[in-house]
Amino acid sequence: MFALIKLIQSLFGALHSEGTPGQLAAGIVLGSFLGLTPLFNLHNALIFAALVLLNISFAGGMLGWALFVPIGFLLDPLFDWLGHGLLLAPSLRGLWTSLYNTPIVPLSNFNNSVVLGSLVFALLVSLPLFFATRWAVARYRVTVGERVRQSKFYRAVTASKVYNVYKMFRP
Amino acid sequence: MSRLKIFRWRAVAPLLLLFFIGCALWWLFADTIARRESQKVGTQLLGAKVEIQDLHLDLKRGDVTIRGLTIASPHEAFKNLLQADELVADIDMIPLTEKKLVVDRIVAKGLRFGTPRTTDGRVAAQSGDGIAGRVLAETREWASQFQIPVLQLATGKISIDSLDPRRLSTIPAAAALSARADSSRRAWQASFDSLRLGPTLDSASAALERLRHARATDLAALNDGRQAIDRLKRARDRVTAVDRTVTSGITQLQTGLAGLDSARRRDYAFGRSLLKLPSLDAPEIGAALFAPGAIKPFERALYYAQLARRYMPPGLLPRATTGPSRVRRAGENVRFPKERALPAFLLRSAELSFLLHPTSDQPQQYAGRLTGLTSEPALYGRATTFRASGPQLTAGALLDHVRDIPVDTGGATVGGITLPAFQVPGVPLRVDPGAATTQFGLTLNGDTIHARFAIRSTHARWMRDSGFANSTIGDLIWQAVSGISNLDVEARLSGALHHPDLAVRSNLDEAVASRLRAVLGEQVAAAEKQMRDRVDALINDKVGPARARVNEVETQGQAQIAQQRARLDDLQKQLEQRLRDLTRIRLP
Repeated sequence: MFALIKLIQSLFGALHSEGTPGQLAAGIVLGSFLGLTPLFNLHNALIFAALVLLNISFAGGMLGWALFVPIGFLLDPLFDWLGHGLLLAPSLRGLWTSLYNTPIVPLSNFNNSVVLGSLVFALLVSLPLFFATRWAVARYRVTVGERVRQSKFYRAVTASKVYNVYKMFRP
Repeated sequence: MSRLKIFRWRAVAPLLLLFFIGCALWWLFADTIARRESQKVGTQLLGAKVEIQDLHLDLKRGDVTIRGLTIASPHEAFKNLLQADELVADIDMIPLTEKKLVVDRIVAKGLRFGTPRTTDGRVAAQSGDGIAGRVLAETREWASQFQIPVLQLATGKISIDSLDPRRLSTIPAAAALSARADSSRRAWQASFDSLRLGPTLDSASAALERLRHARATDLAALNDGRQAIDRLKRARDRVTAVDRTVTSGITQLQTGLAGLDSARRRDYAFGRSLLKLPSLDAPEIGAALFAPGAIKPFERALYYAQLARRYMPPGLLPRATTGPSRVRRAGENVRFPKERALPAFLLRSAELSFLLHPTSDQPQQYAGRLTGLTSEPALYGRATTFRASGPQLTAGALLDHVRDIPVDTGGATVGGITLPAFQVPGVPLRVDPGAATTQFGLTLNGDTIHARFAIRSTHARWMRDSGFANSTIGDLIWQAVSGISNLDVEARLSGALHHPDLAVRSNLDEAVASRLRAVLGEQVAAAEKQMRDRVDALINDKVGPARARVNEVETQGQAQIAQQRARLDDLQKQLEQRLRDLTRIRLP
């Protein structure tokens, strides 16, 4: 229940933040990396740091993470297949061998089929996702955004303490 | 227009705080995390529970100390493979940045083997998952291929009611022989008919009659007589040709009769196979008594050898293994070995000190050394070796996976080990070998296996089980072996790995066989006679008429030949005699 409330807060907080649609879209894209790929990996630490440090929507990141976690679970068989194919492709063997024997890089678990498959998938969808999200947020704000902002429900959500924490990271 | 900020500087402090919290948590829980991960990975690798009481990481010195290590047996439910009081590993830290674990040296103290445990520690045997599960299933299937004779003897009346006449080979053979005899008779009759001896005999009789009334000057009659003799000779040649055919046919029919005897012997053997009689052959008795127990050490050694081959494959090609277990799909981890680089795992040297007879008053301490255990032998370039020695132990192993065809050899001789009593398969007897000397050797060269397992004891004791009263064979074996305290069992395995030959012998084989032969010989003979009578009753109805038919056809054929030949000979003699009488010169 708390997760659902947080998700709704994130959604409203992001959509009605002072950030630009581009900042919100960039946050969602980075959040999608966290959701699509297995969480405890080195690249996700970098993604999280970027989400915190860069002037993009942190709420968008949380929203993207929450939205893409179930998609990640659903697409795991696809990621496994994709990663397996990439890892065992003869033409890429030299690249993987060299990366595998380079310090730090193996800690990213790139040699795991699901990790590599999901990361490649997330990279492939990142640009289309960015542009689609940016357009959708802009359309939302010029159409129904103001009416939602005036609603009691929105005011109740934004008045909670969690929202105050969120405001610290808003763009 | 305000300038767009790229960095959110105020978030640096919370991020640093998060980082430091992470470091603090690592410092607090690193030992616990490493212990749990070690347990998880060890369990996954070996197919049996790996438990660690305490693990301490000292990253500054590169030391890992493990206390209270317990590895359960993958094969036995309530037994440990080994326990160790303490292991101290000296780890090379730099390769950790490449996610490679290089252990320069391990010192293991207080190793104990085969200790009991209270819970079932088998994992691969129950789940069947992972490499260990697959290897365990493969080795179990491999062990189940051996056909072990069973010592059993039916109690009460020996019955052969199940003898099915349709499965006897003599009956169809007799029917076929009868048919062949009839066919021969018809063929011979056709040959006789084609001789056309009647006209020849008639003309010869007529010529003889003329000669009887002719004078010496009646040249025409003399010529007729000579021509008749020539015709008789040619007719006899034809009879001789038919005689050869008949003789050949008779030989074939005689062979058929001999075939009936062979078929009868086969039917006797088939009938005997339906009787539940113990084998009186010594090698089979050895296999029946000890093979089930002898296969187990081979199966277990093969399990570890095959695991080593899976985890230490030769060559430098990428290798996929099951990924880590997590909420998300595990996927596969692919390793990419590279020439002149470090392997993913390398244990350069391990010094082991262990106890044998840990529960006795004077446990014996031994020492061993393991070198070059690695996940990529081709990178390390040397074989894995192990050796251990002590007052009553010599053990060694070499796993050479450097070349394309892996060669694994290992052997051990352990003296003074008190082996547990075990059940003799098929009979309600147990044997307690007592303190015995055990030898084991295995060579696995590619897909060829040669292995030997031997137990030698001078204090074997035999015990009867509760079901003993109803077992005739058990009683007989008890009589044979109860006074024998020496036990010398040897099992050998050789040949292609997928289908090797197993030979088991023991010093008890001949004793048991002799005893069975002496006591059961009469019973076996009576049972076999009963079986032969039953077989005879079934086949004699067919064999008797077939034999009579063959004899009749032979006699008939030979008689016809003799009769025709006699008539021809008689006429020829009479003609020649008359010609001699007519042409004899009489002096006044």
